[in-house]
Amino acid sequence: MTSVNVNVHHVTRVEGHGNIVVDAKNGDLLKCEWQIVEAPRFFEAFLRGRPYYEASHITSRICGICSVGHATASLRATENALGVKVSEQTELLRKLLFHGEMIDSHVLHVYMLVAPDFFGAGSVLPLAASHPEVVLRALRIKKLSGDLCAAIAGRHTHPIAMAVGGFTHLPTEKELLALRERLVAARDDMDETIALLKTLPWPAFERETEYVSLQKDDEYAYIDGRIATTDGFTYEIPEYRQVTNEHSVPHSTAKWAKHNRESYMVGALARFNNNYEQLHPRAKQAAEELDMKPLVTNPFLNSAAQAVEMVHCIEDAIDIVDELVDRGIKEEPLFQFQDKGGEGVGSCDVPRGILFHNYVIDDEGFIQGANCVIPTNQNHANIEADMRALVPQILDSPQDEVRQTLEMLVRAYDPCISCSTHLLNVEFV
Amino acid sequence: MDAEEGRGDGFFAPTASTLVVGLGNLLRADDGAGARVAQALAAQELPADVEVVEGGTLGLDLVNLMEGRRRVILVDAAEMGRTPGEFVRFGLDEVSLLGTDQYISVHAAGLRDALLLAQVLGALPEELVIFGVQPGSLEWDDALSPAVEERLPHLIAAVQAEL
Repeated sequence: MTSVNVNVHHVTRVEGHGNIVVDAKNGDLLKCEWQIVEAPRFFEAFLRGRPYYEASHITSRICGICSVGHATASLRATENALGVKVSEQTELLRKLLFHGEMIDSHVLHVYMLVAPDFFGAGSVLPLAASHPEVVLRALRIKKLSGDLCAAIAGRHTHPIAMAVGGFTHLPTEKELLALRERLVAARDDMDETIALLKTLPWPAFERETEYVSLQKDDEYAYIDGRIATTDGFTYEIPEYRQVTNEHSVPHSTAKWAKHNRESYMVGALARFNNNYEQLHPRAKQAAEELDMKPLVTNPFLNSAAQAVEMVHCIEDAIDIVDELVDRGIKEEPLFQFQDKGGEGVGSCDVPRGILFHNYVIDDEGFIQGANCVIPTNQNHANIEADMRALVPQILDSPQDEVRQTLEMLVRAYDPCISCSTHLLNVEFV
Repeated sequence: MDAEEGRGDGFFAPTASTLVVGLGNLLRADDGAGARVAQALAAQELPADVEVVEGGTLGLDLVNLMEGRRRVILVDAAEMGRTPGEFVRFGLDEVSLLGTDQYISVHAAGLRDALLLAQVLGALPEELVIFGVQPGSLEWDDALSPAVEERLPHLIAAVQAEL
């Protein structure tokens, strides 16, 4: 019988530090762990005692890739805590900005982190040498998404213009129209992207799990809505703890999550499985090209679901730009604090999955308590469950191939490990 | 040029054939020297065909930013084993970047990564000039170290002389 010993100390092409440890002797799986070894980051503690208007700026630093996502979830938590209603224009601008970030993150993952595996390249550099057109296309899409974010939020990483109740800076019509032109032009790049993904030999592996995401009746949900799972559960956003049930495991500095089963999955594939009906027709067409229809249970196809979402985001961004230009961009008053605090939960489905920010703000406007539940945390248990199911199927392959396939599995989840590490608070009574 | 066209981040198609990018983190002492050069130049009257960008910790986006430019001048802190504040003007052919099999972190790609990628993609401008300045301190500090601060006007003048 086969014996395999895989020990990947720090998987590359993921954000942060995680290890894969697999030990199998004579066909028996003795150890199979997805270890998170990143140092915790204490963001929730940073927030305590800070004024409410700093929260989105502090928490956007949790991640350099989805800083708009954290800022949006943060603002929604603050707005819900303080009873702030936002205008339709603000909602539209936030959605447009969110699409920019979604495209930016997905193109990075699909092209720079995942594609090298399929082209037998160790990183994007040899890929650029052998397939320059692929990398140039990725950079073009990335530039567009970055510019989209910059036009609305001032800059993409750690956005400046997003504020409680609205924006401190507004894009001009000229900028929006220039973006529209480039979004339309990006359709060709997306066609090429889907055509490329269609040719990739995705590892054949199926393991059904519970898929959790936001959901709305009238649109593909990224901001607000309700929590929905493919096991048929729905919750209002403030009930998020009933879904996440965060707990600690000995081999991880990040908390793990479980709901109805031993684990669940969040991210593009979860959104795709829950919200396929609300995808833009062009995105559905892309999914059809890739032979994807819910329920997709191959976790490797999370990257393909990301490409489908990129098509959706580009199309929806075009529609939103049209609506904004039709309405005309107007200066709007910003929120004024009313000496009344409260508790609020904000939720967004960011590139890597559903994200929650929960704040308690006092009547002087200072944050008294904060909890952030990050998508990657919610995926850790599912990654390990996938590994346990996958390893016995590939045990007879050469050890290098086992290692490579396991790394690809982890990468498929697009984990952002730095974002997900925070320690359990222990208080002895 | 109206305010929008002067965004300085490559949002609109480039009109200036020469691009100056000053790189670095202003919060890490001398790492911010390049960014300070960009700030100083941006405050001055410049020829019409010159655009100045404060690049901060810009990563692979530099590849896109260089697109369509004939000449790019990069200013950045560089570990060159010289005395702090000393700066050197060089071209890519005078230094060795890492081999192409070197692992690049796209989550934290730096200037070297962007230049390597641009080189492999054939996306380098016709003329690329780099000003490297030897840092004295890379600690958390929003001020330059005295040695680099003292040499900064000379560095600004040297870059300006290129324009």
